[in-house]
Amino acid sequence: MQEIIISVFNIVGSSFCVDADDGQKVYNLIKKALYEGKKIKLSFQNVEILTSAFLNTAIGQLYRDFSEGKIKGSLSVENMLPEDKALLKRVTATAKLYYQDPERMQTSINDILGEE
Amino acid sequence: MSKFNLINIDTSFESYQQLINLYHENKDRQFETIEISFQQWFAANLSSALGGVLDKLLENLNTIRFSYISPDIRAIMQKNDFLSHFGYQKVNDIYNTTIRYQKLKPSDGRFFHRYVLKELLERPELPAMSSALKKKIAESIYEIFINAQLHSESNFIYMCGQFFPAKHTIEFTITDTGIGFRNRVNSRFERDLSSVQAIKWAMIDGHSTKQGISGGIGLAILTEFVSINKGKIQIISDDGFYQLDTDGVQTRLFSGSFPGTIINMEFKTDDTTSYLLTSETESDEPF
Repeated sequence: MQEIIISVFNIVGSSFCVDADDGQKVYNLIKKALYEGKKIKLSFQNVEILTSAFLNTAIGQLYRDFSEGKIKGSLSVENMLPEDKALLKRVTATAKLYYQDPERMQTSINDILGEE
Repeated sequence: MSKFNLINIDTSFESYQQLINLYHENKDRQFETIEISFQQWFAANLSSALGGVLDKLLENLNTIRFSYISPDIRAIMQKNDFLSHFGYQKVNDIYNTTIRYQKLKPSDGRFFHRYVLKELLERPELPAMSSALKKKIAESIYEIFINAQLHSESNFIYMCGQFFPAKHTIEFTITDTGIGFRNRVNSRFERDLSSVQAIKWAMIDGHSTKQGISGGIGLAILTEFVSINKGKIQIISDDGFYQLDTDGVQTRLFSGSFPGTIINMEFKTDDTTSYLLTSETESDEPF
């Protein structure tokens, strides 16, 4: 199957991929392609700065809509700097935990209250 | 008419308390003149916090007048553009150690990018730093701006910084006049955390008030970077004070509340840590 290449730089229109709203544009495209059963290569060519907020919306929330297996099998990245890939890995790990146990945030509040 | 003296404002707990006092003593005034004098010292980057407080007082159609500014303070606050918002002439910074005072709407993300480029990343007079360190500093600042944009519900976000070449330090402060950590966390979870508890909770990796989407990485990234960099983070939100530096975490309570959140970051520019990851440590599978 032919892979669809999505240029993050072009979708955002800037090498600074920092806003959550810009991440949403990338997410909408990936989601559409995944629902259609397509394979996607996300290109980070010419991207200089990424924030966790951008990656949370662009990629993190895919774990709400699709299984880890589906995402792993359908999505890949290219031209991503190692430190940016490390940030992406952190974002996906946080998303997996979050969607596995949505009550986790509530219980974490009890932990803070119990500390003092 | 009311008068208020700001005396020797740096980034100490007591200095933030003075800014809170300025707000509280004047927050109920309307159509009045508030005269402020600046004595001894005013840390330029805290123009960000002062700008937020003064805008709150201006919302009530008060008139702000600076009755006395010591020559040193006046010089630096003219160079960083703060005073030009209050009727003063702009002055060029010949030593180029200021990072301009800027107030932006939360939706002004693109202007913020330009600001960071112009004021920080593309400055030739910036202390010599590895490009990886520069990128880590820029990322930290972006994460904090985006947090304010997403969570603060503030009309404006105020920012200002300062280079200290002799101390090999950059200080950068981002202030909002929004709902603060405590209100944000308590309204999301219907709980009653103190301001310090709410800040401590938010500092933990993966903790976020966002609904339906994961997050809470930005402050954790900043914490980790500042710890390696031997810098400092201060968070002033509501009546809570949180400071992380090489001595660890310190928390205190103010008398009265700041009307929003101040995040002050101090970065060391002579940090020789290599922040570049090599391909050996890189995982090929980010999903």
